[in-house]
Amino acid sequence: MSDPDSVADGQYHSLDPRVIPLQKIGGSIFIGVLGTGSFIPLVFKLLGKDEPLFEGIVLLVLWLIAVLLGLWLAQAWPPKAYRFTSYKVDDQGMEIRRGVYFRVVINVPRSRVQHIDVSQGPIERRYGLGTLVIYTAGTEHAKVELEGLAHGRAMLVREHLLPSGVSDAV
Amino acid sequence: MPSEQRLHPATLIFDLLRHLRAFAVPAVLVIFGMARSSGGPAGMFGRLPDGWEVWLLLLFVPATLVSIFRYVTFRLSYHERELVIRSGFIFRNERHIPFSRIQNVDAVQNFLHRLLGVVEVRVETGGGQEEEARLSVLPLSALDEIRSRVFGGGTHAIEEAPPQHPTLLHLPPRELVLFGFLENKGMVLIAAAVGVAWQADVLDFAFDRFFGGVAGREVARGVARRFEEGAITFVQIGEALAAVLVFLVVIRMISMLWAFIRLYDFRLTRVGEDLRTEYGLITRVAATVPIRRVQSITIRTSLLHRWLDRSAVRVATAGGAGAKNKGQKNDRVREWLAPLIRNSALPHLLHQVLPGFDITTIDWQPVHPRAFRRAVKPSLFVAIILSVASATVLGWSAIWVLIGLTAWSVFIQKKYVAHLGWAESEEVVMMKSGWIWRQVTLARVNKIQAVTMSESPFDRRAAMARVKVDTAGAPDLFSRIDIPYLDRGVAGHLADRLAVAAANTAFRW
Repeated sequence: MSDPDSVADGQYHSLDPRVIPLQKIGGSIFIGVLGTGSFIPLVFKLLGKDEPLFEGIVLLVLWLIAVLLGLWLAQAWPPKAYRFTSYKVDDQGMEIRRGVYFRVVINVPRSRVQHIDVSQGPIERRYGLGTLVIYTAGTEHAKVELEGLAHGRAMLVREHLLPSGVSDAV
Repeated sequence: MPSEQRLHPATLIFDLLRHLRAFAVPAVLVIFGMARSSGGPAGMFGRLPDGWEVWLLLLFVPATLVSIFRYVTFRLSYHERELVIRSGFIFRNERHIPFSRIQNVDAVQNFLHRLLGVVEVRVETGGGQEEEARLSVLPLSALDEIRSRVFGGGTHAIEEAPPQHPTLLHLPPRELVLFGFLENKGMVLIAAAVGVAWQADVLDFAFDRFFGGVAGREVARGVARRFEEGAITFVQIGEALAAVLVFLVVIRMISMLWAFIRLYDFRLTRVGEDLRTEYGLITRVAATVPIRRVQSITIRTSLLHRWLDRSAVRVATAGGAGAKNKGQKNDRVREWLAPLIRNSALPHLLHQVLPGFDITTIDWQPVHPRAFRRAVKPSLFVAIILSVASATVLGWSAIWVLIGLTAWSVFIQKKYVAHLGWAESEEVVMMKSGWIWRQVTLARVNKIQAVTMSESPFDRRAAMARVKVDTAGAPDLFSRIDIPYLDRGVAGHLADRLAVAAANTAFRW
């Protein structure tokens, strides 16, 4: 078992590159669900007896364009977001940088971590990745999530960040 | 085995009253024709038969049985380091609350509580949205016992009443009325009253009587006719304005009355290491704020406050995340540290909570010198969009809209940016904002949770950034440390310093 403190090297790391296909798939599924959901009323409009056909065709074309646009975004966005996402773990805590247009640097001190989850959805499991969820006592950042770490690495980060058993208050 | 206590028998009385209110009152109203049933063809729930509320009375019996059951199975005991509450017979529940995790112990009494010598105790810990234990009702002696065990470090004996409790703040009726005047909650109360009346269908009833009848229609028709003929005289406009003025005054007076009742005899005392607030005329509340568990403090002033040389001080503790569910009755119990305090007494009060902190010697740092240019861009953007939208209606006159909105945006942003400021000391990070309604927020460095630095695309072009400090239990957006328009380098260093300072201090609840 690797030493958890080896993870805390104070260097900025990128996420595991496998997160890109993971997010592409996730995005496509999301668009798929939205598209299917919005298609149903469209079907009613097309097949309805009193509905003017022209309107229906126009809506169908619009819907197709929207779906194609959504799918394209789902493919084009993850690589871009990947370039702008990084994290650093050291003795002080964890720092996460992300955001393409709206950029954020979140710093969670180690002494403020309440508990940590490492979760895996089914697709994440297939790629061997996990999502790190850090819980603090804060209001706005009660939960800080980082998706796209290799599962083993995420577990090591968790080991390192968790408070080492010192009681919270006397 | 620590002795187990039960709830006070008066619990049954209170539960009974609660069930009466929920089940019996709607039924009674419908039976006596004072409110229209919400079932039947005319009502909201059309599928239900007319007059279905009467059947609610039947629910009264099982509800009472459940209450009795709950009372009989409830057990409270004090272990060495935790409070243990057991309840339930079929669905058994045992809840352990470590004393060290308890943030607040509050006591609420309405006049019936006081009559019977009991109190409703609410125990809150740091996590979660609501209280962890609502003990309704316990005898008064049990309240002292809980307090001494929780805040007295788990000693088994009940402490002797300490000799001196320095009163930090006492609000006589005059101050309370002034507070009500300044806060102006009148509109909120009227809206709430209207809401309740609507639900009970009483409003409909009154509406019908006054406006449905011939008299109402005549009045409405008369006014409409006069508008059409353009024969409204100045006298009539004056009358209308006077009516509006009277309305506003009435709202203020309602607010003052409400403040008087809600915060009657407001007293802030220091009891050992806690601050205790007691207030209320009909419902008496005694809330305890352990000083070391104060997360952040917000001092708010409006223009009137400043004219009168006073401020309002609010405090956030970790258990106060209950502000998120506004519908809960337990919110705002602990919110006020000092609803109204003279500015001369403010340093002394702050000294109690933050020893060593001096509010008069803060070295406020301004935001970026070009912050105004950056801040005004989004507002101008919005102004342009609004003007274009109004151009479809007004045509070329929309130019005036554009000019007006632009001038307004420039003015507002200039003032806003000029009044932004931040400062940090070893123990406290603080921020001030606002020019008419001003707030100063103080956050203890050892209570900082996460530190965030963010840049929007506008920020990046101007080389600025925004620094946010997250604390536990922050109630609303205005009470947070959220410093915009900082120079990027300054922001980076500030975020780093705060993160390091937070990391080096163990977080103690």
